[in-house]
Amino acid sequence: MKGITMIEFKNVSKVYDSNGVHALDKVSINIQKGEFVFIVGSSGAGKSTFLKLIMREEQPTSGTIVVNGMHLEKMPRRKVPYLRRTMGIVFQDFRLISKMTVYENVAFAMRCVGKKNDVIKKRVPYILELVGLGDKAKDHPSELSGGEQQRVSLARALVNNPALIIADEPTGNIDPEMSYEIIQLLSEINKRGTTVLVVTHEHELVKSFGKRVITIDDGRVVSDSDDERYVAI
Amino acid sequence: MSSFGYLIKEGFKNLFHNRLMTLASLGVLISCLVLTGSAVMLTVNVSNIVDSVGDNNSTKVFLDDNLTELEAVYKGKELKALDNIVDAQFVDKDDAIQAYREQLGEAVFANMTGDDNPLPYSFNVTMDDLSRYDETVNAIKGVSGVASVSSHREVAQKLASLSSFITTMSLWIILALAIISLFIISNTIRMTMFAHRFEISIMKSVGATNAFVRVPFIVEGVIIGLVSAAASVGILYLLSDGVINSVQSILNFRYTRFTEIIWPVAGAFCAAGVLVGALGSAVSISRSLKHEGNEILGW
Ligand SMILES: Nc1ncnc2c1ncn2[C@@H]1O[C@H](COP(=O)(O)OP(=O)(O)OP(=O)(O)O)[C@@H](O)[C@H]1O
Ligand SMILES: [Mg+2]
Repeated sequence: MKGITMIEFKNVSKVYDSNGVHALDKVSINIQKGEFVFIVGSSGAGKSTFLKLIMREEQPTSGTIVVNGMHLEKMPRRKVPYLRRTMGIVFQDFRLISKMTVYENVAFAMRCVGKKNDVIKKRVPYILELVGLGDKAKDHPSELSGGEQQRVSLARALVNNPALIIADEPTGNIDPEMSYEIIQLLSEINKRGTTVLVVTHEHELVKSFGKRVITIDDGRVVSDSDDERYVAI
Repeated sequence: MSSFGYLIKEGFKNLFHNRLMTLASLGVLISCLVLTGSAVMLTVNVSNIVDSVGDNNSTKVFLDDNLTELEAVYKGKELKALDNIVDAQFVDKDDAIQAYREQLGEAVFANMTGDDNPLPYSFNVTMDDLSRYDETVNAIKGVSGVASVSSHREVAQKLASLSSFITTMSLWIILALAIISLFIISNTIRMTMFAHRFEISIMKSVGATNAFVRVPFIVEGVIIGLVSAAASVGILYLLSDGVINSVQSILNFRYTRFTEIIWPVAGAFCAAGVLVGALGSAVSISRSLKHEGNEILGW
């Protein structure tokens, strides 16, 4: 059954101007709303570049990109914030503000998009409960384990109710059991209807979840578990 | 709005952290505004003097102190008989002191009435052809019983040309200082933005508009502008009276005091301070906001 498209790359190539590196070469990928997709590949393959194109941190050299119905290649700069509001971004290094408490870090994302304080006061505790940090609201990031910090980061990504979650090696800085929990949590979120895109190096983890896996190598898609064109490989 | 408050608070902290840059911004902007204020005071007062002294084309002729009133009045005929003189208006001592009183205020003249009046009798002389001013003044000085001829008119002329020279100079210096202020403020804000690049990258990744990211830094620039405006008004308030008083001892006149123009000046200073502060920060902000994510962080 054909669903609704969340991300569509058509013949997308990316050459970095600064050093002429061909990070992506004629990549075509289609991801439906509600999918959970792992992106794997060796270092320097172009995985982060793929995510940066989705969040429009970078622009493609050629090809077309549609995310959540929005055409990115002709999107003016002033509209980019509204694209970002439809997605939650999780980084490998958590990127939490150390001077703010867990609560403030999550609330910050809501304030940045102009949410009112009374809305924030209801929403943040709910989201912290969802990621299992209801009792850590007043702690500072430095007082938490890596796994807990990543869950704060996930809470911040979720708090504005995005249609899409993008995570670039979210388990890269945390130990294996914690990693499993984070992916488990992302999978729970996915079950509630959010599209999830996870870049990772951990093949064991990928195997144990049995989700769609796209492999990128040297800027090209070399396998896609859901695409019959690659099944032969 | 506690995150917003947080950034503004951070902005204040940074003003303090970047003490040197903040002080430089304040120093240059304050110099610029104080100089502007001084130029305004100078222009206002000089044009007052020029108006009141230079405009009425009459020259004061003071007579010797020992002349009686009758002798004094009679000198008018001699003066009118001179070439180039249209009219010579007798000025009674009492009228003279009254006129000064109106110009300079009551207090100074409290004990100078009647026999204690220190002024001599005098004439207001009107000339026909002002180009022959010097020649005619010499002729008047030749009349016996004439003690002195006032030179206010020449002073006024000299003042006017001096003031226009100073005003022109000031305009250039003010312009230069304004540009330097812009430059220094924009660098101060750039340092603050650099210190906050981490928060900025997060704000952008969660979908904050550039306008939203910008606000705290504009606020910071505006604070620099407003503090400078307030300090400049304070400095002018404290200094101008002293300067006017010492000038008064050289050339007596009812000068316009700073307190008389303090509100329009304060208003203009605040507007200028806010403008320079906001403009200075806007320049650096729009440059750094073009970057995204890791580029902001420099990773
Ligand atoms: N901002 C950039 N400017 C220039 N070249 C870049 C930039 N970002 C990435 N590259 C280059 O593009 C290629 C792909 O990089 P990318 O970060 O997408 O790889 P990756 O698959 O995420 O690797 P890793 O697993 O190490 O994170 C690499 O050769 C990298 O050096
Ligand atoms: Mg990467």
